Amino acid sequence: MATTTIEERQRWDTLHKNGPFPLKFFLKTKLEKDSSGLSGFEKYKDVAVEIQKLIKQAADSNERFRAIGSRWSMSSIAHCKDRMHYNVFMNLKFSIFEGEMHQDSTYDHSNLFWFQCGNQIKEISLYLERRGKSLKTTGASNGQTIAGCISTGVHGSTIDEGSVQDYVVGLNLITGPNPEDNIYVERKSRPALRDTYAQNFNAAKVIRDDEIFNAALVGLGSMGFVHGVVIETENLFLLHRYVKKLDKAEALKLADTLDFSNYDPKILNTDFKGVRPFHYKVFMNPYNTGENKYAVEFIYKIKYYDNYKADFGNPIPFQKEFVYLDLIYLFIKIAGKIPKSIPKLINLLKSSILPKEEKTTVGKLSEIFWDAGYQGKAFACSFGVDHTHSSKALELLAKLTREHPVPGIFAMRFIKQSDATLAFSKFPFTCMVEIDGIQWRKKDKIIPLKEYSTKMIEILKNNNIPFTLHWGKNANWEFPGLVEHMFGNDLKKWKKVRSNLLSIPMQDVFSNKFLDATKLSEPLALDEDLIV
Amino acid sequence: MRLFKMMLFLSLALTLVSCYSVRFQVENGQWEPDDTEEGDPYYRGYLERSVPKKVVTKKLITGADYFNISDCESGALHTVEYKSTLGGILLNLVTFGTKKQAKVRYVCIKKEPSN
Repeated sequence: MATTTIEERQRWDTLHKNGPFPLKFFLKTKLEKDSSGLSGFEKYKDVAVEIQKLIKQAADSNERFRAIGSRWSMSSIAHCKDRMHYNVFMNLKFSIFEGEMHQDSTYDHSNLFWFQCGNQIKEISLYLERRGKSLKTTGASNGQTIAGCISTGVHGSTIDEGSVQDYVVGLNLITGPNPEDNIYVERKSRPALRDTYAQNFNAAKVIRDDEIFNAALVGLGSMGFVHGVVIETENLFLLHRYVKKLDKAEALKLADTLDFSNYDPKILNTDFKGVRPFHYKVFMNPYNTGENKYAVEFIYKIKYYDNYKADFGNPIPFQKEFVYLDLIYLFIKIAGKIPKSIPKLINLLKSSILPKEEKTTVGKLSEIFWDAGYQGKAFACSFGVDHTHSSKALELLAKLTREHPVPGIFAMRFIKQSDATLAFSKFPFTCMVEIDGIQWRKKDKIIPLKEYSTKMIEILKNNNIPFTLHWGKNANWEFPGLVEHMFGNDLKKWKKVRSNLLSIPMQDVFSNKFLDATKLSEPLALDEDLIV
Repeated sequence: MRLFKMMLFLSLALTLVSCYSVRFQVENGQWEPDDTEEGDPYYRGYLERSVPKKVVTKKLITGADYFNISDCESGALHTVEYKSTLGGILLNLVTFGTKKQAKVRYVCIKKEPSN
């Protein structure tokens, strides 16, 4: 039998210490041991029963239940005051064979894999690489669990690939304590697996429905317990990474148009002229208005070959030394020895120039987007806008930041549109304008984070720039009508699917304060239900 | 007296310089994760373990013995850190090189369940 330890706790916090938040019980489930002789399918089914038992215990106690992964989200989206379930040790992995495919499937079975929720990005990459495969994209690093990534929309800056949820082709959800509450969902328009195969995982019901699948994809931890995901991978590829300083105007023009047809990055010993990069990212220090160049990261996709390290060296030691990794890391590097006084640090940023970095690295996806250690108490605010508005949004938010200084710097990343109903990458190409930095205290006499993020929302609204917010980042999530403003009718579609999948008591079990604050936990009114 | 002070200062400086921490980490392995708030910030998100025995005997120093690690379910290590402390150096001086105090911390590789 799978075993769960239940620990009484007073509080819980995110990796970057954005809390603390109150908590009653911290639950940790481990799979049945290998020595039991159970097969992978049997272990998976066994732990599904255990999860349903835990859901029932929560419901019987009138308490809420929430699955968490690596707690990388900085907003309170992962938190629930009653029972938090740590599922990182639920990490079974399954290859899919030809006979297990749906008769109408257009997928290549060798690209499909079923991963249990607690698999972390790094272990998935290592598992896939042993089979000559790769994830299509990840976030800037690799510690998140697969279920955590898709539930909150984790993204990189892969212009033509999208976010992590965009290569998911099937979802195994546990929506309640009863046997029929274990379901497998995939798109009707793109079926993947045979019903009998899903039954190996205890799925009592197979649902093929685009609307349900798309709503459940970015489910915010509230569409039930995401027990497993089926993802589409691709053959191994290499990434050629280069960071250079680019004239502001040129960097912003590329951001606004994403037209690289006439652009030559002029990287030594390469010919990427006219090639749209796999990844394009612009870094910006909002305080140094005198800097006329932006640091820009170009990553191009190239064909994989085995002995690339003989040509380019091992990328990992270089990656460890680079400063243009994730934004918080860069911020801490350019701030140098951070003064204890945050206002002094902000003054320092006024003359701080983003460092030069022109070393090429080539490696697999998992090597370029590598480990990111804990970098201290951090904050991050991240807005999604249509890429045609990217320079305007950056200008407005940077100006606001100069008027109300906070210790952080900006970056812009670009993502292809997602089919997920509540994906923040909802524009044809979404530019994520983000500011990351370190937390400050009241005594620093700096604008409170909630007030700063309110002003950010207001400035985009006042300038008629449609936007979304990253679910896992800091914001004033209580801003009136925020989610409705961002998603309009899609919000109702999402709620409708939620009320179809989850009974009313289960909707409460799978809610939290974040959902209450954003009104996402409120069911649709009866008349609205008829209209959607 | 002045010579004695200089010697004392030099000895102290050398002793302090002898304190060090060396960390080894594998590239191609998933660390065993954890959800705690305590401990060294470097290991935040990692399940950090330590060898309980801090006093290192001569056999260990000379390579005739080894630290025994028995609690990695995966049977593999992700990170190993050997830290030599000031107390350890002083113990080494007092015991004329027969004993030393060291702190060994490690992170296991996450267990990969078999199918």
